[in-house]
Amino acid sequence: MLKIENLHVRVAGKEILKGLSLDVKAGEVHAIMGPNGAGKSTLGNVLAGREGYEVTQGSVVFEGRNLLDLEPEQRAAEGVFLAFQYPVEIPGVNNTYFLRAALNAQRKHRGEAELDSMQFLKRVREKLAVLHLKDELLHRAVNEGFSGGEKKRNEIFQMALLEPRLAILDETDSGLDIDALKMVADGVNAMRSPERAFLVVTHYQRLLDYIVPDFVHVLADGVIVESGDAGLAHKLEEHGYAWIAERHLPAGAGAGAA
Amino acid sequence: MASVPHERDLLDELGRGDAGARAESWRYSKTALRALSQQDFVAADAQAELPAALLAQFDWPQTRGRRVVLVNGTLSERYSDMAGIGASITAGVSADNVYPIRIDGDVGAPVHVVHASVPSAQASRWRASAEVTIASGRACIIEQHLAAEGAAVFGSLQRRYELAAGTQLDLISLCELPESAALYRLIEARVGAKATLRATHVLLGGRLQRMDLQVDLAGPEARLESRGVFALRGRDHADTQLDVRHLARDTACDIVWRGVADQRARGIFHGAITVAAGADGSDAVLSNKNLLLSPNAEIDTQPVLEIYADEVKAAHGATVGQLDERALFYLRSRGIPLAEARRMMVTAFCSEVLAGVADADLRERLAQRAQAALPTSA
Ligand SMILES: Nc1ncnc2c1ncn2[C@@H]1O[C@H](COP(=O)(O)OP(=O)(O)OP(=O)(O)O)[C@@H](O)[C@H]1O
Ligand SMILES: [Mg+2]
Repeated sequence: MLKIENLHVRVAGKEILKGLSLDVKAGEVHAIMGPNGAGKSTLGNVLAGREGYEVTQGSVVFEGRNLLDLEPEQRAAEGVFLAFQYPVEIPGVNNTYFLRAALNAQRKHRGEAELDSMQFLKRVREKLAVLHLKDELLHRAVNEGFSGGEKKRNEIFQMALLEPRLAILDETDSGLDIDALKMVADGVNAMRSPERAFLVVTHYQRLLDYIVPDFVHVLADGVIVESGDAGLAHKLEEHGYAWIAERHLPAGAGAGAA
Repeated sequence: MASVPHERDLLDELGRGDAGARAESWRYSKTALRALSQQDFVAADAQAELPAALLAQFDWPQTRGRRVVLVNGTLSERYSDMAGIGASITAGVSADNVYPIRIDGDVGAPVHVVHASVPSAQASRWRASAEVTIASGRACIIEQHLAAEGAAVFGSLQRRYELAAGTQLDLISLCELPESAALYRLIEARVGAKATLRATHVLLGGRLQRMDLQVDLAGPEARLESRGVFALRGRDHADTQLDVRHLARDTACDIVWRGVADQRARGIFHGAITVAAGADGSDAVLSNKNLLLSPNAEIDTQPVLEIYADEVKAAHGATVGQLDERALFYLRSRGIPLAEARRMMVTAFCSEVLAGVADADLRERLAQRAQAALPTSA
């Protein structure tokens, strides 16, 4: 589904991703862990098409197409979804209006019929129930005045509504209370299917107890330095990133845990 | 009509005099005025036929029977439709193209005043003045300015509003001009004790749209709520000059203006508030935010606050910025195409100004017009 090869990305003149490769097949859940500043959000932003990220080398193929050739909105319509680490507040843009515009723009792009407001609201209600979100939030402006946790849940709600093929969750668990964490995990698990893949960026083992990944990768200093199964997350929890650094860097060059 | 040799003369003729010359310090307006003053104008044709497209722009079902139409500054019996205007409203013509409108007692539905400019074969100009008196009760006036495309038309309009004590006037003004048309408006209002003027101005397009809004809060507890927005593209040019004077105790003004400029458009907002000696306990708030959609567009804003009274609450702020790139990316990352994402954000930017228009249909109409005035492309 997604094949990233030797990806080099510069941001503001500085190389952040330094030859990252990753292969994600439909139906799989990949967790990405790694120290602060390693480039995890950079990877998410590059996949979603944010401006200012210069790809200097490598390739990203999504469903047989060169993803890097597409505009952000085209990527979304093709099935890429990024749950932002820091969701953006957009004053004056009504949440419901925004969601319907987004869903219908995607459907139009795919040659599907647009949903009228009845059909749309029916779908919204179904998804809201799963995430236990107050529908009052729908009447507000996009993310405006939402609490940190509400913003994160709103991201997952959008994912549920838009039904992407590849969902990238960037620290969606950060800032969530224990109950919300379970709701978000339930939301993700309910969407797991053989046609859909997830890239879950997290710092904490706890989320991965609920969303059990097929693969765990450690991203450090712009490359994936270690990959394994769900057990790897447990090892990291126990030993910290120093353990990875010791295994991969020649003696003397090893930095401490981030 | 003879050509006007100097911009200064032109200003004098428009009733601006010295004050006009001072305000004209802004270089783009100066240039635009100079260009106008060097042009030969003939008198615009008061009997001109309105093209169907123009008629459609103001023939709103909800204002039928309450419509006063002026063609090139002259009251048109043919296009006006005043069947539904009752005894509480008198509108007519006096000498010298002055139209007195008097409203006495509550008028339920709004009165629709339309100024249509129709070009002649060569550049033309018209002048008109109106005096509107709200003698008692509460009134709503929808004012609409529009112009057919073609040769240059230059209209100048002077309007005086007199709000007697305890009255309220809701004024909603939509001015949409093609690049060939220019309009100079001087609006003077005198608001009496405990009277309220609620004005919403939407300025779209035009070779030059100059609007002076001079409001005297003359009686205790007089109040002004001014909302306004200009949306410009191409080589449009708008120049708004607000001058609010608090002349009595406990008067209040609340001013929220927005500006959007794309392509090579030029916009100016000058907001002056003076709280005169003795106008103690007054409250003045001015917020002006502007959005540049192109590196070649320019908006200049200047809030000026002068206070000579005691116990005055005053706040003002003015900004010029660009669309929030992060928000734009957020919308696009959900599948919304760039042009639509920009439109959504511009509409959101202007929404605070239009939120004050109580009538939902009218509000929607204004929002649509504002949206249509801006280019859809990136
Ligand atoms: N616009 C930018 N300008 C300059 N540096 C940037 C920019 N964006 C990202 N960086 C830098 O790139 C590096 C990687 O950032 P990124 O956000 O991808 O890290 P991360 O792995 O997501 O970290 P965290 O776990 O803290 O979220 C950081 O050093 C960051 O400062
Ligand atoms: Mg991050």
